[in-house]
Amino acid sequence: MAVHKMITPKAVQATLNTPSVVKEIFIGITLGTIAGGMWKMHHWNEQRKARTFYDMLEKGEISIVAEE
Amino acid sequence: MPFLVGPTQPAPLGQEQVSRFSLSGAEQSKNEPNQMIVLEWLFLTIAPCDAAEPWQLGSQDAATPMMQGIMDLHHDIFFFLILILVFVSRMLVRALWHFHYQTNPIPQRIVHGTTIEILWTIFPSIIPMFIAIPSFALLYSMDEVVVDPAITIKAIGHQWYWTYEYSDYNSSDEQSLTFDSYTIPEDDPELGQSRLLEVDNRVVVPAKTNLRIIVTPADVPHSWAVPSSGVKCDAVPGRSNQTSISVQREGVYYGQCSEIRGTNHASTRAPGNIGRLLSPLWLSRTTRGASHPRSKLLQRAAGAVGSRGARQ
Repeated sequence: MAVHKMITPKAVQATLNTPSVVKEIFIGITLGTIAGGMWKMHHWNEQRKARTFYDMLEKGEISIVAEE
Repeated sequence: MPFLVGPTQPAPLGQEQVSRFSLSGAEQSKNEPNQMIVLEWLFLTIAPCDAAEPWQLGSQDAATPMMQGIMDLHHDIFFFLILILVFVSRMLVRALWHFHYQTNPIPQRIVHGTTIEILWTIFPSIIPMFIAIPSFALLYSMDEVVVDPAITIKAIGHQWYWTYEYSDYNSSDEQSLTFDSYTIPEDDPELGQSRLLEVDNRVVVPAKTNLRIIVTPADVPHSWAVPSSGVKCDAVPGRSNQTSISVQREGVYYGQCSEIRGTNHASTRAPGNIGRLLSPLWLSRTTRGASHPRSKLLQRAAGAVGSRGARQ
């Protein structure tokens, strides 16, 4: 028994509006870069905290030595 | 990245718990009250010591430039990982969306596309280049031999404990300071001590000083590892391996043997104590008094390090 696939209007519209591969790649790279950029900001923040910690330790503003 | 600070509230378990940032060696009196310095406003999370926290996902806080470099490299690589993950996930979801059989019953017959195939071969190959640059830089910097370490410590692995030997500053008639370091048994820790991490005799080393650790085994292969310092040095029978560290802050750092070597492999620890070497008061307090052999040795080392610093 042959199965006939109906070409619905929705299918016609989908066929006519095929996605642009270049556009999808560009959007994907952009989103990936934004997500990676957020991670980089987290990384720079952690570096800044570490630098601040050691600067303050060097200046004597803080101490990790237990007081008597 | 959690930093290592004291508890923000009074330690519920008693005063002994708060000694983790003290400069104490194992000989410090357990009854001495210690207070923690709290840096709550600077850091997101609180950890009581340089040891792994329960359910910890990331690395322990770096105490050496080497470990800091390792963490920075990991963060650099993770940037590319996230970029690729988001990009590939997006393409996958969009492909499933656009080419679902109900919305797109007639599949496209695309056999190949030369231009796009060239592009998606060249561009991903650039990513490993960006990863390789900081990776090789760190690798070669870690391999640099420390020409003039202040102290050389020999760590000898046994089943199932470590022996440490300080032999730099002995006088001619003295033997090297040698001591064994056993993990405190699981049913024997004091209040506040970390289970299966504490030892009876800690390694005491100076802060902000180039150290050379020579690792060798007495029997089977071992591995001397301290995550906070970014150190992992295998102890291979028949050879001595060398690693160098320079700890940037005082504290108590914990390590675990990283080479399986028998029944009690999980019970071997390598915690070290980092302190300012230039304080005779600290030396006397941490080494059972100024007359203790370890105290005399470290005082001699302090003099050598101090004079070296004055000459530099």
